[in-house]
Amino acid sequence: MDLCLTVNGQPISLPEVPGEASLLEVLRGRLGLLGTKEGCGVGECGACTVLLDGRAVNSCLTAAWQAAGRQVTTIEGLAQGGQLHPLQRAFVEAGAVQCGFCTPGMILAAWDLLQRNHHPSDQEIKQALTGNLCRCTGYHDILRAVRRAARWLREGAP
Amino acid sequence: MSLGRSLIRVGAEERVRGRTVFGYDLERPGDLHLAAVRADQAPARILAIDPGPALALPGVLRVFTAADIPGENRLGIIASTRDHEFLAQELVRQQGQAVALVAARTLAQAQAGARAVAVAVRYQPLPGVFDPAQALREGAPLVHPERPGGNLLHERRIRRGDAEAALRDSAVVVEATYTTSPLEHCALELEGGRAEYVDGRVVVAACTQNPHYDRQDLARFLGVEPERVRVIQAETGGGFGGKLDLSLQPFLALAAWHLKRPVCMRYTREESFRATSKRHPLVMHFITGADEQGCLTGLQARILCDTGAFASYGLAVNMRAAVHASGPYLVPHLDVVSRAAYTNNPFTGAMRGFGVPQIALAHEGQMDALALALGRDPLELRLRNALRNGQATGTGQVLHSGVGLARCLERLRPIYRRWQARAASGEDFREGVGLAAMFYGIGNTGVSNPSTAQLEWGTDGRVTLFTGAAEIGQGSDTVLRQLAATRLGIPVEEIDLCRGDTDRTTNAGATSASRQTYISGNAVLAAADNLEMQLVQAARQMLGQHHLELELRGGRLAAPDGRSLAPAQVARYLTGQGRRARGAGRFDPNFSGLDPDTGQGRPYAAYAFAAQCAWVRVDTDSGLVRVKEVAAAHDVGRAINPRGVMGQICGGVAMGLGMALMEQFRFGQTDNLHRYHIPTFLDAPRITPLIVEEAEETGPYGAKGVGEPALIPTAPAVAAAVGRAVGRPLRHLPISLERVMAALTHEEAEHAN
Repeated sequence: MDLCLTVNGQPISLPEVPGEASLLEVLRGRLGLLGTKEGCGVGECGACTVLLDGRAVNSCLTAAWQAAGRQVTTIEGLAQGGQLHPLQRAFVEAGAVQCGFCTPGMILAAWDLLQRNHHPSDQEIKQALTGNLCRCTGYHDILRAVRRAARWLREGAP
Repeated sequence: MSLGRSLIRVGAEERVRGRTVFGYDLERPGDLHLAAVRADQAPARILAIDPGPALALPGVLRVFTAADIPGENRLGIIASTRDHEFLAQELVRQQGQAVALVAARTLAQAQAGARAVAVAVRYQPLPGVFDPAQALREGAPLVHPERPGGNLLHERRIRRGDAEAALRDSAVVVEATYTTSPLEHCALELEGGRAEYVDGRVVVAACTQNPHYDRQDLARFLGVEPERVRVIQAETGGGFGGKLDLSLQPFLALAAWHLKRPVCMRYTREESFRATSKRHPLVMHFITGADEQGCLTGLQARILCDTGAFASYGLAVNMRAAVHASGPYLVPHLDVVSRAAYTNNPFTGAMRGFGVPQIALAHEGQMDALALALGRDPLELRLRNALRNGQATGTGQVLHSGVGLARCLERLRPIYRRWQARAASGEDFREGVGLAAMFYGIGNTGVSNPSTAQLEWGTDGRVTLFTGAAEIGQGSDTVLRQLAATRLGIPVEEIDLCRGDTDRTTNAGATSASRQTYISGNAVLAAADNLEMQLVQAARQMLGQHHLELELRGGRLAAPDGRSLAPAQVARYLTGQGRRARGAGRFDPNFSGLDPDTGQGRPYAAYAFAAQCAWVRVDTDSGLVRVKEVAAAHDVGRAINPRGVMGQICGGVAMGLGMALMEQFRFGQTDNLHRYHIPTFLDAPRITPLIVEEAEETGPYGAKGVGEPALIPTAPAVAAAVGRAVGRPLRHLPISLERVMAALTHEEAEHAN
């Protein structure tokens, strides 16, 4: 099938996408967007999280055709004009990045949360990100980063 | 000054932008794809492998078997125990062992080919052994029949004084058996890599914790000189010991060697679970005595490690378990025997802590049992027995500096007391607070394990650090640059890094054993000393003043009269002479091998110390344990990058919590993350990391290490807290719902694994 979708603001048309292809396979294999990671293939780890019309989804469990005609945002599309998104900057500065493999998915899942909830409690942050596994940080500094980004988004980054 | 500052980690910005190319991401258009065929039964004899049906499939180019391996098909980092047949030769020794490798044009074609081969392998089932105690009995089936030692991989004894007499004369003696389970590392990045054949050489880029070892073993595997193999450490998304053994690199090298074409390979999570090492499950029988004042008198410990079908790091785990059996305490009389046995279970190897997280469950469980028997407080009992500067470990090694355990316990005391006072119980829940301590020898046990590094001052004024030390997320890229910048007196931003490419760097040893800060850090400082000496000599020549006093200060070569010279100027002078301003350094810890009979010796040059306490809530209806808070006090000698240290501590605590409460690998049952549970955001407790700096006089600016210590006290502290909550000790990991309910209902059903 031919697949038309918008990825990081760019309209894209892809010929001959197999019906069983996942959005993850299309993003990585056809579009070379390697920032979207694969960690389990069964929707458990969240490393493949992308935004579909602004909502976080596991791209390994999302069929490519489900994205037809819709807006997909990957980690590569988050920084505007080279400027890091406040979440990205907060992750860097709070030490929330260790090996960095879970980071793209974690940031996009947090983006979805902060879009809907400008003032999340710690418990709300934990709940929103509980589908994104990290083996390095113990989540401690990720929590600090999301708190900080929420504040910056409300009050402006320093 | 960059020492002691929480500088932002090297590579963090690329990572948040999604630009970092990991080993898993290395595929390029046109690469051939590889898929391994793995045995679904073991032990078994391979009667025949028919590649015909696979080769008839579209896109399948080649099926490799053991017969295609040009060199030695016995890999492993420890030379005396190399036994990993990367493609099974004749015998399959564990389920999941690779028996063939398929190369095809696409991934789907390679996978289809692998399935076609899998059904075309004929096996003859053989009797196996799946329990390490049975494996050591007379007449047990042999996992490696050709091996002279039978199923016993290794035995290590530690003997000091007369433990039997000491226990006989003790005021109290406690005796118990503790067990742990096999665990999977679950680094978020799955194994991935790519290989090419370039000008008669094989170039392998893959995620790894030890590129220079990889090169040596790949050269042996291909039967070529090491110069014909180049290994490039790809950006590596976590390791935890799981990327210390070779994983898919031999497959990549083999296919590129034969096909002379670029190849790539990735593991799925299921394959990663099936193919890579696990944490050793241990059975630990401990008898510990104390006098009326609560001073430890003696310890008798019998330890059995299941090393599975291949040796991997089994010898190192067994050694560490024995050496650390005393815990971080003064134990005058010791009798420890630790044995590692082969079985036909999935092979076990390195995982964050090498046996010490397991053994800590036992030595800490014993401390709590003694506290109970003596009616003493667990923290004060540990403090009374804590090793101090000037005292000797169980191997008779006198520690002259850097023994910070008492300071860790004192930092914890107010938190521990506060939590004890606040721990509540209700209709359907009970709370408890537990404490655990540890020590951990930095670097490999009783063997030389040097690191090397080079520093080059460029003509443009920038400095390049060359290191073979694998960055896997733990932060060595950042810390080694901070050390170099401090020693050279320049901002860290002026140091570039060349890391992990065997053509451009030299061996730094493995990123394991919490050794890179201490050992590679010292090698970097030695390289800086050497660079300074070369710059001074060259500057004297350049200026024609052969006795001029010069030293590197504030990034310049300074003379006593206040004049100074930019090193870049000297570098340009050297370049004009066809030389370079390049210093080389090497560091090997001051160790001695352990006596083969008594185990006495100096296995490590430095030790890290730590204590953690945990506050848990147990749901008495379901047995569910929630860890509310953990406080973790770690003596790291000197925190080169405090944020990095705290990140390691928090990550270690979470991993320790998984070990304590939920993780247990069962082949074929827990082979992805929906069945094998690791801690999620909601499982993670509030963590208070506390840094203690008891300087190690041989460390770089006093530093030791923290990567593994971070994890070690967590499981015993959680076990102690749950034990306190339910009113009886928990001695078997993981502390599952069933085990908690059994403890709560006072059943005598505290089953071992």
